[in-house]
Amino acid sequence: MKRILAVLAIGLAWIASVGAAGFETRADLPAPELKAHDLRGAPKTLADYRGKVVLLNFWATWCPPCQREMPSLERLRTRMAGRPLEIVAVSSAEAPDDVKAFLAKMKLGFPILLDPDGSNTRRWNVFALPTTFVLDADGRVRHVLTGPAEWDEGEPLAVVEGLLAKPRR
Amino acid sequence: MRLLSLFLSALCLWVTAAHAGVPDFQRFPATGQRLLLWVASERGRSDPELAAARQLAAQGVEVWSLDPANAYFLPQVPSSMDALPLQDMSAWLRAADASGKRVVVFAVGRAAVPVLRAAALLGRERRSRLCVMLMHPNLYTTAEPLSAPAYLDLGDLSGLRVRVLQPRRSAATPWLSSLTDHLGRLGADASAAILENLREGYWAREAPTDFETAERDRMDAMLLHQLDLWGCE
Repeated sequence: MKRILAVLAIGLAWIASVGAAGFETRADLPAPELKAHDLRGAPKTLADYRGKVVLLNFWATWCPPCQREMPSLERLRTRMAGRPLEIVAVSSAEAPDDVKAFLAKMKLGFPILLDPDGSNTRRWNVFALPTTFVLDADGRVRHVLTGPAEWDEGEPLAVVEGLLAKPRR
Repeated sequence: MRLLSLFLSALCLWVTAAHAGVPDFQRFPATGQRLLLWVASERGRSDPELAAARQLAAQGVEVWSLDPANAYFLPQVPSSMDALPLQDMSAWLRAADASGKRVVVFAVGRAAVPVLRAAALLGRERRSRLCVMLMHPNLYTTAEPLSAPAYLDLGDLSGLRVRVLQPRRSAATPWLSSLTDHLGRLGADASAAILENLREGYWAREAPTDFETAERDRMDAMLLHQLDLWGCE
């Protein structure tokens, strides 16, 4: 009984914290198509990350809030090493050279994808930067956050942990 | 004689304004044939905007500068722009048209909404004499991730020539064609120009890049250049 109550309390706290961060929870929303290239020119789609929780972050080098949250995404990557989480950052409508120049100054260990013509930005209907989609291991959008976050603590971390704890269908 | 003429014009304008409820605006007189109606964004009018207005007047372009949020004692949020009295805005456009000068409206951000709605209230003939330049306009009703954008119905814009100036470094840039398509569906003759290496509101940013600082100091030249490129007369 105590154990059930404890689980319920954690669950309620998690739900409350997710709401407080500005996350929008989506029930089983199929993800739009992602068709991008990485910095080496290799094509990438969501299928490349199937079976993992995916944190898909739309950002730009000129966007100060995006720059501010990048170190926390990198800390999250380090913290989650060995667990089925993939952090993928899509540079929105920027020239590849601008992205490469930025990454020469800020070292990031997660994949960066290029969207120079903004086609992915439009398909995912991104209107503000950063915007982050959190997908479950079945490739469905479960949470959306418009604006920056400290991803390795508090509510954002709870969102990621919540999906990692969820069994696959 | 010229002084008398200027006095009578000013008196006429004041009388018109008093009757029509024209919003309180700041005037930068000039003797040239161009009149620029500068409508600041919901964030209010910044010093660089006033400096640019003075520089334009010194080059012969008269500027009427309106800070709508301040003029109507409204909070500096986008929804305030949607609440402006359109009859006042429309009367302001009519007063500008009555000056006999070639009128260009330059509106920033959400201030595009009252400007376009006021233009819709004008007759087609008067509207077709206007040129409207919009700096990174926000015409959304809703813009939610994973949902198609929805734009405001601004009324009949047939005959209105609209040029959108869009800083490249903006989340709105990928949506530019969607925006001009919407204006086109309302009847406007809409086109767009990209401002490279700039962010929205670059002239009033807390931490501008060196390029943005330089561009802030030459907003007058940028506007004249864009007007010449556009060729709206």
